Amino acid sequence: MGYDETFDVLVIGAGHAGCEAAASAARLGVSTALVTLNLDLVGQMSCNPAIGGIAKGHIVREIDALGGIMGRVIDRTGIQFRLLNRSRGPAVQSPRAQADRSLYRSEMRRVLEGLSGLYLRQGKVVDLIVRENKVRGVVLEDGREFSAKAVIVATGTFLNGLIHTGKRTYSAGRAGEPASIELAESFKKLGFPVGRLKTGTPPRLDGRTIDWSAFEPQPGDVTPVPFSFSTDILSQRQIQCHIGYTTQSVHECIRRNLSESPLYSGKIRGIGPRYCPSIEDKVVKFAEKERHQLFLEPEGHDTNEVYLNGFSTSLPAELQQELVHMIPGLDEAQIIRPGYAIEYDFVDPRELGPDLQTSRVSGLFHAGQINGTTGYEEAACQGLIAGINAALHVQGRTAFRVTRNESYIGVLVEDLIKQGVDEPYRIFTSRAENRLSLRYDNADERLSEKGRRLGLVGDVDWDRYNARQHRLNRLRSALDEISLKRADVRYAAVAAVLNCELGDKVTLAQLAKRPGVTSELIKSLLPEDLQREMGETDLSTALADSLYAGYKNSYQASIDRLFHHDGLRIPKRMSFGGISGLSNEIVERLERAKPMTFGEARRIPGLTPAALSALLVYLAANQHAA
Amino acid sequence: MSTIVALSTPPGSGALSVVRLSGTNALKILKRLTSTLDFTPRTATLTKLHHPDSNDLIDEVIVTFFEAPHSLTGEDVVEISCHGSPSVVRQVIDASRNLGATLAGPGEFSLRALSNGKMNLAQAEAIRDLIAARTETAAKQAARQATGELSKRLAEFKTRLLDVIVVLESAVEFVEDDLPPTQTNQIKEWLLFVLSGVGALAESYQSGHLLRDGIQVAITGKPNVGKSSLFNSLMERDRAIVTAVPGTTRDTLSETIDVGGIPVVLTDTAGLRQTTDDVESLGIERAYRALNEADVVLLVVDGSVNADWHEAGLNSFDHKTQVVVNKIDLVQYGHSDLPQGILVSAKTGEGLDDLRAAILGAFRGSAIQADGLLVTNARHHEHLQQAKIEIKEALVALDEHRSEEMILAPLHNALRYLGEITGETTTEAILSQIFATFCIGK
Ligand SMILES: Nc1nc2c(ncn2[C@@H]2O[C@H](COP(=O)(O)OP(=O)(O)OP(=O)(O)O)[C@@H](O)[C@H]2O)c(=O)[nH]1
Ligand SMILES: [Mg+2]
Repeated sequence: MGYDETFDVLVIGAGHAGCEAAASAARLGVSTALVTLNLDLVGQMSCNPAIGGIAKGHIVREIDALGGIMGRVIDRTGIQFRLLNRSRGPAVQSPRAQADRSLYRSEMRRVLEGLSGLYLRQGKVVDLIVRENKVRGVVLEDGREFSAKAVIVATGTFLNGLIHTGKRTYSAGRAGEPASIELAESFKKLGFPVGRLKTGTPPRLDGRTIDWSAFEPQPGDVTPVPFSFSTDILSQRQIQCHIGYTTQSVHECIRRNLSESPLYSGKIRGIGPRYCPSIEDKVVKFAEKERHQLFLEPEGHDTNEVYLNGFSTSLPAELQQELVHMIPGLDEAQIIRPGYAIEYDFVDPRELGPDLQTSRVSGLFHAGQINGTTGYEEAACQGLIAGINAALHVQGRTAFRVTRNESYIGVLVEDLIKQGVDEPYRIFTSRAENRLSLRYDNADERLSEKGRRLGLVGDVDWDRYNARQHRLNRLRSALDEISLKRADVRYAAVAAVLNCELGDKVTLAQLAKRPGVTSELIKSLLPEDLQREMGETDLSTALADSLYAGYKNSYQASIDRLFHHDGLRIPKRMSFGGISGLSNEIVERLERAKPMTFGEARRIPGLTPAALSALLVYLAANQHAA
Repeated sequence: MSTIVALSTPPGSGALSVVRLSGTNALKILKRLTSTLDFTPRTATLTKLHHPDSNDLIDEVIVTFFEAPHSLTGEDVVEISCHGSPSVVRQVIDASRNLGATLAGPGEFSLRALSNGKMNLAQAEAIRDLIAARTETAAKQAARQATGELSKRLAEFKTRLLDVIVVLESAVEFVEDDLPPTQTNQIKEWLLFVLSGVGALAESYQSGHLLRDGIQVAITGKPNVGKSSLFNSLMERDRAIVTAVPGTTRDTLSETIDVGGIPVVLTDTAGLRQTTDDVESLGIERAYRALNEADVVLLVVDGSVNADWHEAGLNSFDHKTQVVVNKIDLVQYGHSDLPQGILVSAKTGEGLDDLRAAILGAFRGSAIQADGLLVTNARHHEHLQQAKIEIKEALVALDEHRSEEMILAPLHNALRYLGEITGETTTEAILSQIFATFCIGK
């Protein structure tokens, strides 16, 4: 069969997952096609124009440390940077930025076009070519056929997308773009278990019609923290966002009109994210709350469009306008684009291995919302992992994975493939057991060597990484070795400031752990040459390490207890069907994976905690009997 | 699965006894016994029970049917509350067996529950104890834990712990969300509540392990004072050799007896004296080892002779030593010049009840929960201790006004330890509670 074009890796969809996937595959040296419906919308932010936030910002840092592109692109196009949780400990701080939506798109496209071996192709993929359980390529709507040894599906909300506003529904991938109905069909034909999820967006307003004085300004940070370890200066002029509130009369009006909402009329079957509720949900589920917070987020420097964050809705457009007018300061505000809810297909991520390749079809990878996640950052990191592994697959190299103990990406991937999803999956810091070690500021230490070994971290970045490592090592030994003694001139002053007994001698690392000790104080106690040499972030990284050092052992001990059954052996001819209480699906998964130990069984995708304890008790009981 | 039947309340006569049936035929058997056609699940029904063959009335009873999987074992379960006479109970069980039920083995109900996913690991471990239980009381404790009572008790504290985690996690995770400010005092109060609850349960292990492993009681004293005789009379049978010759007992001898429901491991030892006899000195060596390991040492002296019993050289065991003055049947005059101790006669049995009570003192002395639930499993005890340490750590961090993640780290550790007993709390469960508690999300 003659193909129109032949590639090693082909990526369907140029959203946040697709862009990262295509970039990483191409940079690993395989010829890569990025096929998308509209090449003018590469890297489109279909929801709010912002990247990062708690745990999400961590992920962007991790992507950057591994050699991905999202961090660099947002640093060049971000118009308001804030480090969240500044008042809290370093492990839960995380960068966030508002993006200029259109700048982000063009910068993303520019980056992709700069990569050799990456080919942008516009077109609509309508089918996957699969023979002997191997993916061979794709068919486009216009009849073209592309050959590829690996295909990454990163189609976002496009699979069978269905938009709702009020009682109106229409098929679309997102507002203004067609859904992928044929492709959705081909997943079902291949036997993939497909479910339905829902998400939504708020209306966007004309900034010229907003009474800004009615809102509280929310400025960015004075010293903004970038996402990429490579960024020294943020180039975009910084803007303010604004905060406002809904009122009781808005809530009443929504409640009166609930029958107009497809969410409440039963029209929408897909499950929406609980942490990203529509305004309808908020006023119903938290009826006692007097007001709900709203954020007015400008969409960019060259547009008047303002994103009304916090007001996601699928009520009819006329009603949305009426409600917006009831919000203080938005009395005159005009809606440019109404909010909407969208339902879309996702494929059960328990079909995937840790490399994000499907177990059903060799060479087929899934990344992003197709796996049931939500969020640009969550999508991008999956794109990165899928892109890397698709290239490795083509090159015949061993698969790449990151663990949950070393990264949020590892947490996300493992959660997805083990537990599956029943609502759109978003990352949270509480999902990471090892939270105190997974900081935004040490993502490079956690992952850059891995990225370098893969070939994704370039020479310039690698040199910078090593230079920082060098500084950090000197700093760490200084903190451990330099101590403040009773005889020192500074001793009395420091003790007085802290108002506590310091003992005869205290190392700087110990001192830093005390409540109330600032990094400025520690810095002032360091030798001058070190003070000069080290960057702002170096000291905070070194101090964070010593702050959390004490927690490592007790965490490890409690985790070890949790996994102390891992060594339990599973007999070779074990019939899992004999364990009463296990569903056929679970038995099937166990039989396919043939685990040798309980620890191996624990890592099988899709095994529920209940199933695992049944297995454990069975094994323990039988061992007892033996 | 076959249908099993057993008495599920303690044997003996009480006001009520409950006979339980579990298995696919449980309902069918009930219908045959009662000639009633329909039972609404989970509803108590007053009905008459007849012999299936003779149709003779057995008893008027209250029956409840639990439909699978909503039952203790996850199978169809029938509970028959009959009058608490042994003969009625026997008739109910026999009638059920006639209709195809088999008598349940030890712990079999629980084992079924386990394989039907109705039980967690703590409960499974308790079943192991149940089967190995040495006395009725120990079995009852194990049974309480097997039915998840320890888990249930812990659930209260775990729920509070979870409340704290939810509040702190939300503060960390949803900074942009206009949440109510964290009430540090409230958090502290909650944590202290959890700490004391978990602590009390942990302490109950002191009694709990005695209940499970038995109170170790060693009998010692000079030769011929009547140690073996006392051993025999506490055992209520002639187990040890008794002669009038001093130095009769050479080797230690242990047996478990039931003292007021508590297992007591009683050890008879060789009389302590200087000797050149090799066998006897080996026996005395063993006697000292037994004294070392004992929870209670009974130092027996002969009340009928005026010997200086202080010589025995047992000062190092003072704190756990109970002096027992034996052979008081031979003491004619008043007891006033006898050594301080419990006065008994191994021969007549006089004073033995006082002695039993003194032995149980060791058990009573340690903390017992108000409702009598004791932690009997060493692993559970270890987890509770660890959880305690972690919660204390969190309280320190709270007092130092540390950032939430540093308070949370030990709390998550604590939750993991408690989870080892009650079952894991998934992140999903924590998140669900957050979303149910707070209005989160833009
Ligand atoms: N009248 C009377 N005689 C007792 C009593 N207890 C024990 N004797 C007698 O005392 C003698 C010694 O009893 P044992 O029980 O063998 O004494 P023991 O302390 O075990 O002696 P050794 O094993 O030799 O150390 C026996 O003749 C018993 O019958 C008692 O309470 N009253
Ligand atoms: Mg004797």
